[in-house]
Amino acid sequence: MTDPVDSAPTSSQANAPAQLPTQAATENPSTTLPIREAKSAKDQGPAPSDKKPTKGKDAPAAAAPADAAAAAGGEKPLTPAELKKKAKAEKAARRAKEKLERDGGAGAAGGSAPGPGAGQPRPPATPKKDAAAGGAAQKGSRAPPPRRGSQGGAGAAVEQKKKKEDKSVAVFGHLYGQQRRTTIAGAGKEVHPAVLALGLQLRDYVVCGSSARCVATMLAFKRVVESYTTPLGTSLPRHLTTHLSHQITYLSTCRPLSISQGNAIRALKLAIAGIDPSMPESAAKATLCDFIDSFIREKITVADQVIAASAAQKIQDGDVIVTFAGSSIVKQTLLAAHKEGKQFRVSIIDSRPLFEGKNLARALANAGLDVTYSLVHGISHAIKDATKVFLGAHAMTSNGRLYSRVGTALVAMSAKERAGGVEVPVIVCCETVKFTDRVALDSIVVNEIADANELVPADVPQQVTGLPDPAAFTAPPVDPKKAKGGKPANAPTPDPVASDRGPSPSPLANWKETHNLQLLNLMYDATPAEYVDMVVTELGSLPPSAVPIVHRMSTNM
Amino acid sequence: MATTSESTATAVAKPFDIVATYNELLRSDPDLTMPIAAIEALVLLLTHEPSSTISETLDLLAKSTAHLKKSIPNPIGLSAGTDLFQRYLITTLQRPGQLGPAGDFKAIRTHLLSNGRLFIRRAKESREKIAAFGRGFIRDGCTVLTNGGSRAVASLLQKAADEEGGPSAVRFNVIYVLSSISKDIEGPSGEPEGMETVRALRAKGVPVSTIPESAVAYALGKADMVIVGAEGVVENGGIVSRMGTYQIGILAKAIGKPFYVVAESHKFVRLYPLGQYDLPIEQHVVEFKTEEDIAHKSAQQKSVESDADRPVELPLEDSVDFTPPHLISALITDSGVLTPSAVSEELIKIWF
Repeated sequence: MTDPVDSAPTSSQANAPAQLPTQAATENPSTTLPIREAKSAKDQGPAPSDKKPTKGKDAPAAAAPADAAAAAGGEKPLTPAELKKKAKAEKAARRAKEKLERDGGAGAAGGSAPGPGAGQPRPPATPKKDAAAGGAAQKGSRAPPPRRGSQGGAGAAVEQKKKKEDKSVAVFGHLYGQQRRTTIAGAGKEVHPAVLALGLQLRDYVVCGSSARCVATMLAFKRVVESYTTPLGTSLPRHLTTHLSHQITYLSTCRPLSISQGNAIRALKLAIAGIDPSMPESAAKATLCDFIDSFIREKITVADQVIAASAAQKIQDGDVIVTFAGSSIVKQTLLAAHKEGKQFRVSIIDSRPLFEGKNLARALANAGLDVTYSLVHGISHAIKDATKVFLGAHAMTSNGRLYSRVGTALVAMSAKERAGGVEVPVIVCCETVKFTDRVALDSIVVNEIADANELVPADVPQQVTGLPDPAAFTAPPVDPKKAKGGKPANAPTPDPVASDRGPSPSPLANWKETHNLQLLNLMYDATPAEYVDMVVTELGSLPPSAVPIVHRMSTNM
Repeated sequence: MATTSESTATAVAKPFDIVATYNELLRSDPDLTMPIAAIEALVLLLTHEPSSTISETLDLLAKSTAHLKKSIPNPIGLSAGTDLFQRYLITTLQRPGQLGPAGDFKAIRTHLLSNGRLFIRRAKESREKIAAFGRGFIRDGCTVLTNGGSRAVASLLQKAADEEGGPSAVRFNVIYVLSSISKDIEGPSGEPEGMETVRALRAKGVPVSTIPESAVAYALGKADMVIVGAEGVVENGGIVSRMGTYQIGILAKAIGKPFYVVAESHKFVRLYPLGQYDLPIEQHVVEFKTEEDIAHKSAQQKSVESDADRPVELPLEDSVDFTPPHLISALITDSGVLTPSAVSEELIKIWF
């Protein structure tokens, strides 16, 4: 993988994800190298002119570089030096485009995305370069599949041409990084299929939760190590780390890495670096696989059992346990306490949009526990008869703050500041692999912003009773399709653009086009150390102030 | 490492009564704290019981510790000692070299025992060390409020009183809170806990005022600081101490006076109570009764004198409470003056 030929395809592949969002979202993932010619035309005119370039793009890209360039715009063949220069310029242009895209908040995930590249003032020189670079890197290029014929309504595209309103919330502006990857298209060829799959699972919250993500990542990396062969002229400890970093980069574009993932990766890299270069490859790989297995076992599996056992000791008969969202370790704790025959009630507080508590509620109820489920708006009610609060963690920071699913701080605060009652102890269950030496003073500086579209409910529950008053129907011009969908009649009238796109049950559905409306979908918040009474770890129970000491100890070992 | 059956060890373990030894040690030496008495009892046990392997020794230790903890009404203090001793044994045995698992067990045993004694001697000296650390807290003209019968507090106050420059180099006053509960129960000499210290201080020329517990809030205005002892220092930096300490802590916080705790570092316990009712002690301080219940209970007491297997209840005069860490300004220990959050650090250092 170190041969110099590789560098060209890599760079051109890296180029693809940036272009992808601008193309139709339904595009086949196998398209790694869409060649875009005549993009200058697109820059000049509105959407209709887009059709032409797409047709051009359909031309088989596998043709010889000179041919491709000629087909694109009658360009003369370029010398390697020129190619290199152009590639550089193209990269700079891509950066600028990306930035613009981000500013525009263009969501590639939205099904009814506007025409590609609309509103992006690209330097006119770049299209040719695109073609040239593509031709030069023809190794990775394949014939792109037919593009989606119809882009969104032409009117909508024209509207998009106007300067888009900034849809990122200003205070959290620094958190809007790259859009999360939507397809595996454009992933480097070094990325292992297991990692490719994991990336999408992470992105779609199929694998969700700090520990689960950490375990899944380590298992995927185990498969990477298993199928790895050291290229000639290098040694495993030197090369495997860079090979892994390709996987890591890919994963982090799917969803920002969790603290636990980061810690696990650091441990793995340390283990790789510690391998004697003279060790035979098979032995080294076996060592690493063993390391990964024992890491998962020691840091997560067994640690969870120890934590569950010791946290269950804190549950007494007659307790009312409040928990937030769906932490697997809290689930284990409650089940362990239940198995010991303790009689207690559980009140699960959940929140949108992930509804992680639903699975927890079902699992606990199936196990025979007495479960109450409510959303976070019912917190003051739920906390009224609580005797203990159990929380899971995404991470514990060095100043003792708990960094966990957004809403955790609210639950902890409600428990601590409960009016007129005895203080309710707040217990955090957290493996030491989730400890970090970072410091969090608030939830603003470090956080993760998820796709705001998640806040737009996809399916409003079907309305069965209390159908809207027919009189109310006549007032707003709601089309019959929507009325059938059980949409409350008093909901604000969606603007005409939305009604073109079929039934949209939520008033927020077209928030991107609504002026003065920003949606914020934060993932985490930081709970102050004063609200946490106890952190149960596999090394024992600690006050939150002891987190840095234990972290230092567990990483030095 | 060789392992033999443990059944033989338990059979031999019976003649030596660890509980009686522990109680005897506590009675014979008034200066002895509970954890140290427990360690001394365990060292005595090991000298009495011939064990030939490491696992046999550890097993014997674990069994006797469990037995001791079960038969003592308040095992918090003593568990600090037994845990520490056990931990010490294990780390010594794990250490590589002559005294490690590969070495001769006889040598290990004698080493353990001699070191155990050394440990006890050091622990006794720790009170002196604490007094040296804590002396600086008591300055000329200040008034100290204290309670209970802590020997560490007594030695600290006495040390402050007889500084180098003759009797009472530092002029300070002491407000001594005397427990009202123990008054009606005949203690060792029929007087409340702490009277001995009061007399000793008065003999040294320190003006001491004694007040009942109900007058703490009234008297705190005249005090500059509160210094209390502790039975055990728990993981989050809170203390388990004589009943009434918690309320003094709350009052001191409310009035804004510093609240210092004097405790030897061997009193640090691996325990994490979440509140008053989360202590591993059976104590019935709050008991709701009606006239009927009282009649029923007295009738029952006549019929069943004692139930062997019932957990031992703590008599009311020995009851304890838990003072949470946020009420404590600092802990004066033999390893220095610590903030409550540093306690867990110290504990981690001992345990890992």
